[in-house]
Amino acid sequence: MNKKWWLVSPPVFLLISFCVIPLFIMVYYSFLSDGTTGHLTLQNYLNFFQKGFYLKLTWKTISTSLLVTIICILIGFPMAYIMAKVINSGKNIILIAIIIPFWTSQLVRAYSWQNLLRDGGILEIILRKLHIIGPEPLGILFTQTAVIIALIHIFFPYMVITIYMSLEKMDTSLIEASKSLNAGPFTTFWRIILPLSKPGIISGSILVFVPSLGVFVEPRILGGTEGSVIGTVIEDQFFEIYGWNFGAAVAFILLMIVFISTTVLSKFAKEEV
Amino acid sequence: MLKKGIAWVYTCIIFTFLYAPIAVLMLMSFNESQYNSLPFQFSTRWYNELANNQTLIDSSLTSIYVAAITALFCVILATMLMLWIVQTKSPLKKWIDSLIILPLTIPWLILGLSILLLLNLLNWDKNFYILLVGHIIISLPYTVMVIKARLQSLDFSINEASASLGANEWTTFRKITFPLLFPAMLAGGFLAFVISFDNFILSYFLIPSGQSTLPIEIYSSIKFGFTPEINAVSTVLLAGTTIIIIFIVTVMKASLKFLFK
Amino acid sequence: MKKKSLGLALLFILLVVSAIGCSSSSTTTDKDGKKELIVVNWKDYGSDDPEVIKEFEEKYKVKVTHQYMASEEELLTKLRTGGVGKIDVILPNASILPIAIEENLIEEIDSTKLSNYKNIFEQFKNLPENSKNNKIYAVPWVWGSTGIAYNSEDIKEEVNSVNILWDEKYKGKIAFRDDFNDAVMTAALALGQNPNSPTNLNEIKSKLIDQKQLNRTYWKTGDEFSKLFAGKQISVGLMWSGQAAAMKKNGEPITYVIPKEGAIGWVDNWAIVKDSKNQDLALKFIDFMLSSKFQENWVNSGGPNPVNTEVTKNLDPEFVQQMGINEETIAKLHFISYHSDAEKKTWNEMWQEVKAK
Repeated sequence: MNKKWWLVSPPVFLLISFCVIPLFIMVYYSFLSDGTTGHLTLQNYLNFFQKGFYLKLTWKTISTSLLVTIICILIGFPMAYIMAKVINSGKNIILIAIIIPFWTSQLVRAYSWQNLLRDGGILEIILRKLHIIGPEPLGILFTQTAVIIALIHIFFPYMVITIYMSLEKMDTSLIEASKSLNAGPFTTFWRIILPLSKPGIISGSILVFVPSLGVFVEPRILGGTEGSVIGTVIEDQFFEIYGWNFGAAVAFILLMIVFISTTVLSKFAKEEV
Repeated sequence: MLKKGIAWVYTCIIFTFLYAPIAVLMLMSFNESQYNSLPFQFSTRWYNELANNQTLIDSSLTSIYVAAITALFCVILATMLMLWIVQTKSPLKKWIDSLIILPLTIPWLILGLSILLLLNLLNWDKNFYILLVGHIIISLPYTVMVIKARLQSLDFSINEASASLGANEWTTFRKITFPLLFPAMLAGGFLAFVISFDNFILSYFLIPSGQSTLPIEIYSSIKFGFTPEINAVSTVLLAGTTIIIIFIVTVMKASLKFLFK
Repeated sequence: MKKKSLGLALLFILLVVSAIGCSSSSTTTDKDGKKELIVVNWKDYGSDDPEVIKEFEEKYKVKVTHQYMASEEELLTKLRTGGVGKIDVILPNASILPIAIEENLIEEIDSTKLSNYKNIFEQFKNLPENSKNNKIYAVPWVWGSTGIAYNSEDIKEEVNSVNILWDEKYKGKIAFRDDFNDAVMTAALALGQNPNSPTNLNEIKSKLIDQKQLNRTYWKTGDEFSKLFAGKQISVGLMWSGQAAAMKKNGEPITYVIPKEGAIGWVDNWAIVKDSKNQDLALKFIDFMLSSKFQENWVNSGGPNPVNTEVTKNLDPEFVQQMGINEETIAKLHFISYHSDAEKKTWNEMWQEVKAK
């Protein structure tokens, strides 16, 4: 039982000292009044909950991330299903093509979206040529919609790949069996395909929802005057002013939201499979 | 047949969405205007400027360097972990399992700032090794996922057979496990490379002053004047990657099948 | 398959090794007994241009080594944790200077040893943060202002007031800056409060909330502003003098004005670190940085405004006029002064609230 500890100890050591311990240090800082020297206090948390606008931003961050996750599932599932079950050739090409956008920095992509979405920009020109929109400006840039589009673009590949991995493992004969029992396509989807791909959808959702909660670049570049989210609040505390203790407190609250939602999601994954 | 038709149409729509901003950034790298203004005027000006921009080239190389080391360490660490996990009966297994996926459930922003606070508490300077450790931690879970999936589909009775034939563990690993696992290690390493390469948020917190990776350089040039050279460097990298991938695919067509399984 | 795997492994190792090779070749190793002057500055900020610094290095037989800072706080931390005695010259601004002087981290500077000191604009010699008890601790180097920039093709009327940012006529065409300091100070200017110590923060908050709905967006980085401006998304906004000049050089129809209410100004200063072993050299370095030759070169290649009055004589008069490089305009600037952490936190929180409204 205690053999081969040398295999497991280096990565475990790394994860404990640079992932687990730092989180505890963050919690410690969040209860200090000033830097490392201050006294213990609840002030940082009280400040967060007393000021209504922090709660408002928190809710805005959560709802945006949820929306991004749901849209990623809705458009990602058909893509993954097509790759796993419909087409026979070219799967790997598609998979690689989905990953290639990762090679361009998130920041550059955010600026590209600005070019595409702005009034008088490329999308507006194309849509007008196609007579889809009239002469009025597009009006997408500097709204929540622009932020959501950019976030979907960034996190979509995670969702497709995880769902694909779970669909790929699924036995196609189950679908055939369901069909031969005269089940309609809807019943087959609802009773067979969806339950079996649930683990993939759940882990994909975690991979999309969690990082969406912590973004700050895209809201800043694309969100205009409504670009504030919890991520930008935390960034300001660390890079604009020396507000590390309050920043740590906000980060801890965000982390709690993450833990609660992932726990709920994984509970959901376990039941009725 | 109709089903396949719809499937391809859908795929095309998705890829239009995925590649629209990429196409725009490539287009803008050939646009004369410094501020990406329209109408479009063809020019290779930004590529000439890129060739003379040592800072941008250096930071791209730093990014590749960091990503390569991250990938190498992730593959080694993930393989070690997985070899242990699949064979162990230790009661700690469950804990270690959740420890490995922990970085996936923490936004990078929080991970970055908490490592920064650790350095602050210990009075350490930001340094390159910490940056590397950070990158390894965020990429490791992805490599683990890929290798684990492959390892679970392997039949361990081969190992036992090999052992019963008197081969020692190292020989077994070298002759049997490693070749079987190699494609997954490659895929896992590739994934780690990509994740580290694009990472901005974590590097933003941990980068030592005076150094920069490509995303950091892009962010700071956004502060002080962002020229389409950035688009040019992104285009060059994209083209380079695509060529490397095509090369790998052609060299290794047969074994690529379980790349993502 | 085995052969192919081996080949790929080799390829991968090759990639890693070549990447390591590339990045390690860029480190410099010249230790030939020359004296070394260690300077902490922002990256790509004038003094670290190898072409320029070569002249200084050859003249005084010294090697200048640059270290970089990412923020003023980082510089302060560097000094507190072992920088004293190791670093020679630093570039602090008003946000940390009073603390650095108070904590005895920097040396007093004998301005008579700087041949170019006499040429500095009088106003910069009297910055309260740079001295204590009539002793000088920091020497101004470059400066700039944050005023109003507008598109002269879209806006034909004369612009001379900060209130244009509150003008309903330009609703949806304005870009305010996403920065708590600039926001508070600009609103204070508009309200006639003292920008460096505003008395009525509530009034400022509602002024900023009024302003919010008129914006196309808040800009964070200079680059964002220039792209939005060139893309005709905005016509007017808060802008830095230097960036406006650079855009004009690139042919944008941009006009920069210092409003009649005044504008925000900033100054970067050189200081010598306590117990530096090369104090004479450090003074010579600072003097070199103040020389009209260096200052003229830098401003002509797109650097910030020079403090040396001699330089203005050789510059394009129109540029000097626009940037306000004259005593009269400098007198209208409110240079960002020292603010305590608590004050910054209050301002920042108020700005967060405005943005979340």
